[in-house]
Amino acid sequence: MSEIATTSSWRPRSAWAGFAKPGRQGRAGAEPGVILDLREGIGLATIILADGQDEALARALSERFGFAPPAPGAAAFASGRGLVWAGPGQWLAVAPSRADLAGFGEALAGLAAVTDQSDSRAVVRVSGPQARTALSKGVGVDLHPRAFRAGSAAGTGISHIVAQIWQLDDAPTYELAVPRSFAGSFWGWLTESAAEYGCEVRGLPR
Amino acid sequence: MSTLTLKRAETQAPLARSDNPAQPFRVAGGLVDRTRPLSFRFDGRALTGFPGDTLASALLANGVRLVGRSFKYHRPRGILSAGSEEPNAIVELRTGARREPNTRATVAELYDGLEASSQNRWPSLAFDALGVNALAAPIFAAGFYYKTFMWPAAFWEKLYEPMIRRAAGLGRAANAPDPDHYDRMFAHCDVLVIGGGPAGLSAALAAGRMGARVILVDEDSRPGGRLLAERREIDGRPAADWAAQALAELASMPEVRILPRTTLFGVYDHGSYGAVERVSDHLAVPPAHTPRQRLWRIAAKRAVLAAGAIERPHVFGGNDRPGVMLAGAVRTYLNRFGVLPGKRIAVLTSSDDGWRTAADVLAAGGTVAAVIDTRPSVPAELRRPVEAAGGRVLTGSFVSGTKGHLALSAIEVSDASGRFDQIACDCLAMANGWNPIVHLDSHLSRRPVWREDIHAFVPGTLPSGMTAAGSAAGDFALADCLSGGARAGQEAAATCGFDGAAAPAPQTDPESVSHTPLWRAPRTKGKAFADFQNDVAVSDIELAHREGFRAVELLKRYTTLGMATDQGKTSNLAGLSIMAELTGQPIPSVGTTVFRPPYTPIAIGAFAGHHRGKEFRATRHVPSHAWAEENGCVFVETGLWLRPAYFPRKGEADWMESVNREVDTVRAKVGVCDVTTLGKVDIQGKDALAFIERVTANPFGTLAIGKARYAILLREDGFVLDDGTVARMSDSHYVMTCSTANAARVMQHLEYARQWLWPELDVQIVSISEQWAQYAVAGPRARDTLKGVIDPGFDISNEAFPFLACADVTVGGGIPARLFRISFSGELAYEIAVPAAYGDAAWRAIMAAGTPYGITAYGSEALSVMRIEKGHAAGAEINGQTTARDIGLGGMLAKKKDYVGRLMKERAALTDPQRPILVGFKPVDASQRLRAGSHFLGVGETPSLAADQGYLTSVAYSPSLKSWIGIGLIRGGTERHGERVRAYDPVRGGDVEVEICSPVFVDPKEEKLRV
Repeated sequence: MSEIATTSSWRPRSAWAGFAKPGRQGRAGAEPGVILDLREGIGLATIILADGQDEALARALSERFGFAPPAPGAAAFASGRGLVWAGPGQWLAVAPSRADLAGFGEALAGLAAVTDQSDSRAVVRVSGPQARTALSKGVGVDLHPRAFRAGSAAGTGISHIVAQIWQLDDAPTYELAVPRSFAGSFWGWLTESAAEYGCEVRGLPR
Repeated sequence: MSTLTLKRAETQAPLARSDNPAQPFRVAGGLVDRTRPLSFRFDGRALTGFPGDTLASALLANGVRLVGRSFKYHRPRGILSAGSEEPNAIVELRTGARREPNTRATVAELYDGLEASSQNRWPSLAFDALGVNALAAPIFAAGFYYKTFMWPAAFWEKLYEPMIRRAAGLGRAANAPDPDHYDRMFAHCDVLVIGGGPAGLSAALAAGRMGARVILVDEDSRPGGRLLAERREIDGRPAADWAAQALAELASMPEVRILPRTTLFGVYDHGSYGAVERVSDHLAVPPAHTPRQRLWRIAAKRAVLAAGAIERPHVFGGNDRPGVMLAGAVRTYLNRFGVLPGKRIAVLTSSDDGWRTAADVLAAGGTVAAVIDTRPSVPAELRRPVEAAGGRVLTGSFVSGTKGHLALSAIEVSDASGRFDQIACDCLAMANGWNPIVHLDSHLSRRPVWREDIHAFVPGTLPSGMTAAGSAAGDFALADCLSGGARAGQEAAATCGFDGAAAPAPQTDPESVSHTPLWRAPRTKGKAFADFQNDVAVSDIELAHREGFRAVELLKRYTTLGMATDQGKTSNLAGLSIMAELTGQPIPSVGTTVFRPPYTPIAIGAFAGHHRGKEFRATRHVPSHAWAEENGCVFVETGLWLRPAYFPRKGEADWMESVNREVDTVRAKVGVCDVTTLGKVDIQGKDALAFIERVTANPFGTLAIGKARYAILLREDGFVLDDGTVARMSDSHYVMTCSTANAARVMQHLEYARQWLWPELDVQIVSISEQWAQYAVAGPRARDTLKGVIDPGFDISNEAFPFLACADVTVGGGIPARLFRISFSGELAYEIAVPAAYGDAAWRAIMAAGTPYGITAYGSEALSVMRIEKGHAAGAEINGQTTARDIGLGGMLAKKKDYVGRLMKERAALTDPQRPILVGFKPVDASQRLRAGSHFLGVGETPSLAADQGYLTSVAYSPSLKSWIGIGLIRGGTERHGERVRAYDPVRGGDVEVEICSPVFVDPKEEKLRV
């Protein structure tokens, strides 16, 4: 897969294409309350533990990522690569590009089933002083720092759309992943929810 | 026992009247901002008020006392209360698309330019033609709906119902879509405080000081509750100042959220609460990007119910005349809004509390005409200031009637001895005790309990995590509200793990809650109303009693007592107490009706929030959507998906012409269809094949790597769940596809089987439906087309890649793809899957590669025509009521393995040879149209259930056969080829003779499939 970008004349189409427009939206003002960074070209893969391989998988993932697979409700990131807990014995691997996940399945053969999901989700990074408030319009999970902090993750439903959310830092910065085919409806909800606070969209969809 | 002190009334100098001629009833004081007058209109009349006013206070300031007409009798009505319990002052607000009916003037905040109009009157409020209903009152008694308008039945729809609706209709809804948007918010806290009066503020302060996350909701624009409405002192300062300071301290706490203008309308399971915030209702138009209202869903570990109490009216003849008000409301208008609701005010009280109204009126320089106390004696210190000011004091007396044309001009007073007196007044303040607001704590099917010492219902067993404080708990004294609230807040925070002791309760001026209620005047003239909003009088309750509707739920429904939009906030207890008296029972034995959310009416828009119009539910787009849109595609909604239905071209007259052209092109040349909507499941692991064997009903053990096979899945009860394909990509890696409609259902079924039925199997499954864009390329030139898309080096010749082959390939110069040679159309066909981000590029590449061969894009319509031509079962046949045998797949079922549904499919009813079975149908007269859903009857047979032989499940116009065709389920169908039956469709007037045939209409020998 690492070869795609260099050898193909086909251009990938962003999941957000046709919906997201870069630039300022909603309430005008000096600082946007919410900043939306479209995450393009990242690598995603589902890792599902094979029977009885808990320890071996933990070792293999620790070697590759530099940290153990996160516990339920947690996510771990280092150098832009991370694992997000996604269910019992399941994680979503996140990498800066598809190429980062090349050979991943072979490396974990026998320990886990690895399935490429790089195209399956539309991913957006949400930050800005009103990020938490704007997300609370649809995220039923308690995002208060006493309950959800950097390294927290949850699977939830937002605006009737299944979603994964994880927090990257205490700013706070969040990332949200929704099924690709729902990107338009999710974008409608997200930008309408953020409009009240002023919203800046970054990362031009290709 | 009274210790109520009226010293302040005696010592305070009378306040100067406002010299504002436009607002003749405005006096000094209050919390309104007099520097900035606001103009507004009521029934077209220009009036003025001040920021801080409600519509009701501004109307009273202008001397407007007649505000509406009653529901049934069109009686003149004024303003009863100063809160959300208001039953009378129901008005229409705003105009045009923002017109909003049935709002309460008492909670509508005044803004510049507000337009309000009265309801339920014609032609005008002062002269209402339907006021004659009052003269016909005897026929509008309780149960009149049930007794009148019964015959002739035909008159109901055309005459009676429209007439009743016009006569009784409240406001008019707006005719245009709501231009505003509504928002939603989730919130979590340790302690939710419901109500911002003395108890609520104390609770929030106590919990907030301990560091708990606190949410304080208050329905008013300004929290404070009765502290803003009473001339009381806390720690030697005016109570309103204490409230302001408490609010300032709360606002300074980072973990405390104050939500004013927010009504907590419902209590739900597990500590979840619903509230609505009126973000912009106090503005003419919401500012840009600001919602009109916001629905809050609050999850709280603990809740302090400090919702307060509602004052009870007295029940006597003419108690609904404009000018008759609740005594506490008179104090609110006076102390909070600087409005004296009358020039000569009389007070009717059964409690010490009512005397406060007299004291406050005197303190404001108003005139107290009389105080009528229903109790035989009253302490001297209460009487003295009133008598000193020249007001009459009558004890052991009651009001037996009122006088006045459109508003109150005098009251008639009687006592036990029969003495009768008439007192001129333009406002009567009624004090008859207070009812704790027990609605919210009763929402989870709990019932309040009667407390004889305070003559009121109080919360019974509270929902888990909830405590009641202050007057909501029956503690009416201010000192008790402050200390009880603080205690409840402290305990709630402590339960959540926070430390700290409650501060000592502040001191208040002396007070008394002495009270002996009078449920109704012993003798009375004219209609005495228990329920103002629904026009339920004492006579109606007596009638219900006489006719046997005595149980509280029957009383409610027979008389409509408490069934108006106010849910009987001011009326329920009056009804219960009168029924108790009539039946000789104590009040608690009569019981209460059930309280349900919402506490006050909530706009439906607030519940809809973002989800209106196209956003009603989410829409899923296919990877080829952009191309389809560019090319004039007509889409169809299937579930959440927006699927291309067909692609009309210039010159095509209708959808059928386009669909026929698409079918013909696929059958003769090549076509491409987006089938991404199919469910796709990745199955891996050592035991993957064993797992697949157990969930599929046909055998798989022999499936070689690089091969795909049709798959049938049964439910546990033996019916067909879905069908699809399973492809073996490598030794332990399989891909299953299933139908669009059942994608989620099948995934759920597989997870259930993996997690619960066979946790011992080493198998990992995950949905890849969103990862892969998948396109069907079908038609004699399909292979030629794909050769232009698939990278060189992959041999897809018929020999190397035969029917039912599958392989990993690359496309577009190195992009991973999966190729399956499977066919739904019956043609030489492939399905090619590419990573979804490359779906758009792949589609365009296929269209380009197929152009030399005359490729067409085809949609779900052509797809459906071709599968019917091939007799393939789909959603209409796999409908949850059919077995594999029913849809002609019985022969494929495995004999030698166990699988989900194997035993249950053998139940007698499912193996009955008489079960309808899938066959084909064609009209005897080829020009006739078939309709899905038509039932089969023998030719010449009279239609009846017994004669029914089955029905047509799917029909299509087949361009290949130049005729309508159908497939359907009919008894004994397989043996009846050639026989004729009727396809009978009484709904659409269809009755077509059809011939039973094989369900495979096109290429029955599958010669096109394998070339």
